[in-house]
Formats: sequence, structure tokens, C-alpha cells
Amino acid sequence: MSGAILQGVPATTLDTDIWIDLPSRQYMRVLNLCRRMGAQLRANTLVDLSDGSTVNFLYEVHGVRGFRYEYQRAKKVKWLNTEVAVLPLPRIYASKKFVGRPKDLAHLPLLEQTMKLQGRLRGR
Amino acid sequence: MEKKLARVLKKLRRVRGLSEEEKYLFARSLAATPDERWRLHENFLRSHDLYTRSAR
Repeated sequence: MSGAILQGVPATTLDTDIWIDLPSRQYMRVLNLCRRMGAQLRANTLVDLSDGSTVNFLYEVHGVRGFRYEYQRAKKVKWLNTEVAVLPLPRIYASKKFVGRPKDLAHLPLLEQTMKLQGRLRGR
Repeated sequence: MEKKLARVLKKLRRVRGLSEEEKYLFARSLAATPDERWRLHENFLRSHDLYTRSAR
């Protein structure tokens, strides 16, 4: 949900998901980098950064197309003095709807409402 | 941010199906920059002592 929050969805999340363009068997490359940055490793895809925040690495995202396709269409957002690529809200919506866990479905009305209001603000 | 918030609130005034409080909640988030949005989210977690794993 971090990407959605950065795009204006009034929500909260306990971790930040980062989609990695690597096969999942190469997860150690990511974890080694995290370790060098002083992160605490909690699982193969989960780390706590030195500021206490939690990051979850994803090697595939269900309900959307492949990394390259989505990255080309990602929204660039300035965040914490850097530029990050985030899935646009309709793509986050599609993924959450596809995954369909209760916590994903709970976010759908919030995503829907935000997209609707953004449309109104743009005068659509 | 206050000016932009006022502008966004004005545009959302005619939206149906949302209470005034809900409109304010959305407007505050939509009027903010990504960094401000993240801070709002962090503040919420911190105020509930949920920000760090050690707190959780």
C-alpha cells in the first residue's frame, strides 16, 4: 500500500513492498545488500531497516503484467529526496482484487474512492 | 498546503456519499505532497505505537 499512500490514498501499512526484477532464487543478492546497510533480516524476503521500518521484497506481483511492462508505465514519485517508480492506482487495485485476501479486499473501496476523487479534481 | 487543501475541499464539496469528515480526510491526503502523505501515515502508526517492529 506504500505506493498507494504516496499517490494520495489515506491509508496505512506496516511494511513497504518493493518489486525486484530478479528471479526469486537470487534473493540472497538483495539480502546481502540489506545486510551491508545495517538491516536486520527477518525472512528470505523481509528485512527491518535501521530506522525500524519494514521492507518486503516481491519477485512477482499477481494480477498485473510482468515487471518490464509495468515499470515502463509506472508513476514516478519524488519521495524522501529520491525518485521512485510506483504502480499506478488502477494497477494496485487490479492486483489487490486478484489476490483477494481479506486485507487486500478491505483496501478496494479506499482505492476506488481515491481514484474517483482524483478524476473529479482533474475535472473529469 | 493550506491553500491547496482549501482548493481541493472546495472541489469536493459537491461529492455525494461522503460525510464532511470523510471529504476532509481525502482532501488532506490529496492536497499533500508524497512526502507529506508519508508523514501522515507515519504519524498515524507512531501515535498507535506501531511504527517499529520493537514497538509492535
